[in-house]
Amino acid sequence: MRNVKINHLLSATGGLALAASALLTATAADAQPGRPAPYVSTGSDGRRDVRVAPTVPNISGTWLSRSSNRSALPLDGGPTPFLPWAQGYFDERAAAEKTGMPLFDTNASCLPSGVPRVLPVPYPLDIVQTPEFTIIAIEVMHSFRIIHMDNKEPPADYKPSYLGYSRGYWDGDTLVVTTTGMNGFTQVDEEGRPKSSGIKVIERIHKVGPDILENTYTIDDPNTYAHPWSSRARFQWDETARLNEYICEENNRNKPDASGKLRHGDGSRFIDRNQAKK
Amino acid sequence: MTTVKIWAAAAASIATLAVATSALAQFNTDEAGLRARDKAAKDKVAAAVEADRKHPRVGGIWSGQLVATVKTVDGKLPPMNAAALKLYNQRVAARKRGDVKDDPVEFCLPPGTPRSLWSGEPVMIAQAPVKITFYHQYRHLIRHVFLDGPVKLDEPDPNWEGHSSGWWDGDTLKIETIGFNGEQWLDTAGLPQSPDMKVAEVIKLLDPNTLEDTVTITDPKFYATPWSTKVTYKRMPDNARMPEEECSEKLLEFPLKPYAPSDGGTGHGARGGN
Repeated sequence: MRNVKINHLLSATGGLALAASALLTATAADAQPGRPAPYVSTGSDGRRDVRVAPTVPNISGTWLSRSSNRSALPLDGGPTPFLPWAQGYFDERAAAEKTGMPLFDTNASCLPSGVPRVLPVPYPLDIVQTPEFTIIAIEVMHSFRIIHMDNKEPPADYKPSYLGYSRGYWDGDTLVVTTTGMNGFTQVDEEGRPKSSGIKVIERIHKVGPDILENTYTIDDPNTYAHPWSSRARFQWDETARLNEYICEENNRNKPDASGKLRHGDGSRFIDRNQAKK
Repeated sequence: MTTVKIWAAAAASIATLAVATSALAQFNTDEAGLRARDKAAKDKVAAAVEADRKHPRVGGIWSGQLVATVKTVDGKLPPMNAAALKLYNQRVAARKRGDVKDDPVEFCLPPGTPRSLWSGEPVMIAQAPVKITFYHQYRHLIRHVFLDGPVKLDEPDPNWEGHSSGWWDGDTLKIETIGFNGEQWLDTAGLPQSPDMKVAEVIKLLDPNTLEDTVTITDPKFYATPWSTKVTYKRMPDNARMPEEECSEKLLEFPLKPYAPSDGGTGHGARGGN
């Protein structure tokens, strides 16, 4: 037990150092626009379909979140323009967290967290561009988003889903992605900004440096917010990063009780049973 | 003792910072070295891009075949040894009784390689010069295959999909996968795997709209000899859809509720308002 605690401490301090050194590197790198490119530069042609026109900006490759954040904070620095019911939910969730019994959200049952919440997480993303699609693979829950580059509206019979239907086009150097067709079961962020199935998320994705990708997204959901508002996530290129297998179901233990509060127990019967056999 | 370790950890953190800082200093001074590495890497990628322009287009959306009981290319049961046959017969008998509690996919665990290859659902393949990516509709599983094969692992981290590595051999794409956790079945019937299993795939276009994957399983713990099976895929239109499939919804013991009143929700979240 003591060893476990020490290991946690070690990893916590090590993580702090890593975070600090990453910050240092990033800050210094940002300050030097003329610096030499990393030895494999961003948007390597090796990582996207050769049929994509060379004039299309290359964002294919592996990206690490630089701004993993549990809150989607409005860019204007102001308060989130909640409608009353949404403010009520947000406050209710914050109060529940304080008691150590957070409210259920889909992540607790190994279901995807929807757009844009899937983006600012401390796990890598992998982007591949083909002539027809831009595909964003997300390590968490092995989700992938297919962005249809014909920018056509979803088919009329599109069945609402967790990640929705994404379509996109290039506006100069910026990839503009519109996502609709999400079900109403997920939140905008981890902290608890809710959303409705009527939400439209517009992402404007472009490189702001040789190896930094910036995604400024706008939440347009009149059922939940008084007016559209925007937030931002940034990603750092990492040629050597690999997406690992992330199987939430191996440890699916958080189960809400009748009141909607999470409790621990049950979960992955298969893994438990197999481990007991060994 | 604990205090000593805390200080050791703190010292390690400071050392990490120092290393990062010195690496930064080197980064700023050794421009010639960096440029040489940059050029070498770019030349390698450029060669891969040129080569890939000549490769067959395995990229696209493909409809697969559902194979519940995998047979060898000769149409026989794979050459199971006694241990494998015992497990297999148990699993087949259990399923006949309607008992599927030993099948990992029933718990929404990933079918892994090779079971995902014969799920019968579409797979999108993205073809790039240094990486082939498989996006399966089935349980939205993803397999990243870097074309740096043959596969070699210094420290295998065993898992369900295994660790894949590929390369082009003329017009044929070859993929090797190792590093399995040994928990998954190879098919619905219940062919077993061990952590030592190696999966070798030979993927070729029979015509522009037909893809064939010949899969060879080597797993001496359960099979007397390596054995092969084949699965073919048909090209779907580029605007084909791959609906999102969330297996874990079936593990919920309650129906999800929407948040928003406009969706019929109570404003108390996906579980609230009981």
